Amino acid sequence: MSGIRRWWKQYGLGVTTSSLVLLSAWGIRQTQGAWLAETYRWATQIWHPVVDYQTVIAQSASQELRAQVAELQNQNRQLRQLLDFSEQIEGEGIPAAVIGRGADQWWQQATLSRGSNHGVKTGDVVMAPGGLVGRVQHITPNTSRVLLISDPTSRVGVMLSRSRQMGVLRGTGSQMAVLEFFDKEPSVEVGDTIVTSGLSSLYPAGVVVGKVRAVDLDASPAPQAVIELSAPLGLLEWGLIYSYAQSTEPTL
Amino acid sequence: MLNQLNPRFRLTALWAGTVVSALLCVWAPWLRGPGLELAGLTADWPLMWVVCWSVRRPLWQGAVAGLAMGMLQDSLSFGQPTHAFSLMVVGILTARLQKQRYMREDFISVALIVFGMVVVSSSLMALQWSLLSSLSFGWDAGSGVGVGEGPRSLDSIWFNHQRTTLTSAILSSLWAPALYLPLRLWWQQEQDPE
Repeated sequence: MSGIRRWWKQYGLGVTTSSLVLLSAWGIRQTQGAWLAETYRWATQIWHPVVDYQTVIAQSASQELRAQVAELQNQNRQLRQLLDFSEQIEGEGIPAAVIGRGADQWWQQATLSRGSNHGVKTGDVVMAPGGLVGRVQHITPNTSRVLLISDPTSRVGVMLSRSRQMGVLRGTGSQMAVLEFFDKEPSVEVGDTIVTSGLSSLYPAGVVVGKVRAVDLDASPAPQAVIELSAPLGLLEWGLIYSYAQSTEPTL
Repeated sequence: MLNQLNPRFRLTALWAGTVVSALLCVWAPWLRGPGLELAGLTADWPLMWVVCWSVRRPLWQGAVAGLAMGMLQDSLSFGQPTHAFSLMVVGILTARLQKQRYMREDFISVALIVFGMVVVSSSLMALQWSLLSSLSFGWDAGSGVGVGEGPRSLDSIWFNHQRTTLTSAILSSLWAPALYLPLRLWWQQEQDPE
């Protein structure tokens, strides 16, 4: 008995504190840091950039508009052949400021200042001037965490706006991403615009993603192209969150 | 400064300061600004905190701090693979170094330790990633376009390791003294209570 008491006297404090610290850290981890994210948002809110949607529309990159016009022309021409184009984004986007960037060097993430209180749901699509940014991965009442399309685990079904060649876009952790074509001999040229394809069930079809910067047709196992993403993911200050009803049909 | 206070209150204040500093370090990577960022990467603040904590403490305290910080970092990024493992190893190794035995001076050695530990922890993360991707754990293997996420390829894991480790190590070791000085002064209050 006295042995236990002596042991407790010597180590009790350490054991209690350690278990308390570990338990609370584990608790925070299990709730995906909801409390941490909310506190951070609250503490930094005076610095959040104000999203003035009107100005932003006025300033929005003409590059995106031109690419969209080209895309719409192509869509019009081929609309009859494609059944998937009935999917469209519904409603207006929720403007949200970027309040945090990736918490380590392995994940390309951003934290936005809008959450479930504002109607954001997991799986919502995030866009910015320039084009597609990513998908909402996790939400708390007032924040949402977005997995950017530049993350190496992100996969987006895309196609060339000009030739309708399809492929999968994979992030590389930078502004450049890699597009793997399905076709063995795709018709692709440097400068082609990339948009999300109708086959992707997670993203609405026809959203501008980027431009082809280089082509490697001999890549194994499939021909590849290097894509420069058109939304400046590294400089992002705000985004628009769109709710998107995912198609329930199996893809591919 | 805290010495005149009643002992119980003093202890609470010390702990509160420690917890607040740890939380600030967990949040710090979210914040980007001049000096905080190099080629899109930021310093590894949670790791720096673990090193500062463990450098003059017993092994188990380093391990506990590493585990806790790792779990907090998990909660703000993604828990798979976990940061808790690599930060625990960092805590243990730093405590194990027993720096004060052979080096009296503080700042440069802390910067050096941080440099080394960033390399250790990012290599451990890369190993975990490789293991996960070879098991394709947690990903719906075989599905293509519809799936928003897929495993990292081994190439991309080790490319990322190469790309980020050196930058992050340099940036972290430059910032390390700036974090270490205030923390050291704070914890000194606890060690000499006269």
